[in-house]
Amino acid sequence: MEEKVKNIIFRIKRFDGEKSYWSDFVVPAQKGMTVLEGLFYIKATYDGSLSFRASCRMGICGSCAVKINYKPKLACETQILHLNSSKIKIEPLDNFKVLKDLITEFEGFFAKHETVRPYLIRRDDNYAEPVELIQKPKELHAYYDFTLCIKCGACVSVCPAASTREDYLGPAAMVAAYRFNADSRDEGKDFRLAAICSDGGVWRCHFAAECSEVCPKNIEPAKAIQKLRFQSAIYAIKKALKGW
Amino acid sequence: MSWLKWFEFRGRSVFHLSYSFHRLTGLVLVLYLIMHLSYLTSLTFGREVYEAFIAATVTPTFLIFDILLVLVGVYHGVNGLRLILHEFGLAYDARRPILYLSYLITLIVWLYASYKLYVFVVGV
Repeated sequence: MEEKVKNIIFRIKRFDGEKSYWSDFVVPAQKGMTVLEGLFYIKATYDGSLSFRASCRMGICGSCAVKINYKPKLACETQILHLNSSKIKIEPLDNFKVLKDLITEFEGFFAKHETVRPYLIRRDDNYAEPVELIQKPKELHAYYDFTLCIKCGACVSVCPAASTREDYLGPAAMVAAYRFNADSRDEGKDFRLAAICSDGGVWRCHFAAECSEVCPKNIEPAKAIQKLRFQSAIYAIKKALKGW
Repeated sequence: MSWLKWFEFRGRSVFHLSYSFHRLTGLVLVLYLIMHLSYLTSLTFGREVYEAFIAATVTPTFLIFDILLVLVGVYHGVNGLRLILHEFGLAYDARRPILYLSYLITLIVWLYASYKLYVFVVGV
């Protein structure tokens, strides 16, 4: 049986380094075709200068997050016909500096990740004689969901706190911080809380919870931030008492 | 970077709408507070000045504004309690039903308060 093809208009927000403008392209979409495949079709057929990021094409790398009909989504996981629209509006993520077309600057995003030390910190690190760190299933489940973050930036894109303060750590970095703070093998909680318990950290979040609504991996960043808030409050009280 | 993003509604969920309205009602309440303090300050110019202000605003014509102000205050208060609950790390997984419950509470309190206000001003 011949597959049904439907012509869909891709309205893409472009940026050439100086000015923004919109470009329209017609994409013949069929069942199963993703928005990312549509973008590749446009690049191959109409305009080779169209710029976008993509890598794994299977929702793992987080490179292809863009705004599709106003909502941040992974282009590789969004099927064109599932959008039920004859016109699809594609824009770069909000709250990031646009470099070209759909490509945004992610350096600041990853720099924020670095400040929360997203790795296991141990006092007894001995690389010459490594030891196995035992963990119970219950301990694993305490943080497992938060390990699934693919750092696509969708959460930061919708965060109203990130839209007004550039120094705000943002939901993704705080998910990484909570993931390691909740890990029973980790001993670096205080290092991370020093960075998080600040004006640009957990206290800047206003609980719009939109980050949890758009996360393509259903990680619930807002939950991690609220849990970090509690940890930060205890940390701040302890710090204040030590000063006395 | 723009604070206008606080009021971006397209493609956003009901949680973001609640956030936007919380900001908006907060601004309205600040304006109301300034007005309220101005009214009280008018007392320093004499009782007559204060009573003239009151006579101009506590009227059936102004009732609609008072009713809207009650809605703003009740929404901001009830939504604020919801946020405090979640920001203590509590009941996060039930955030959607709690949000709808907060809307229901706001509606009930607002309707009751509006009725009371109507009776007070119009006197029926």
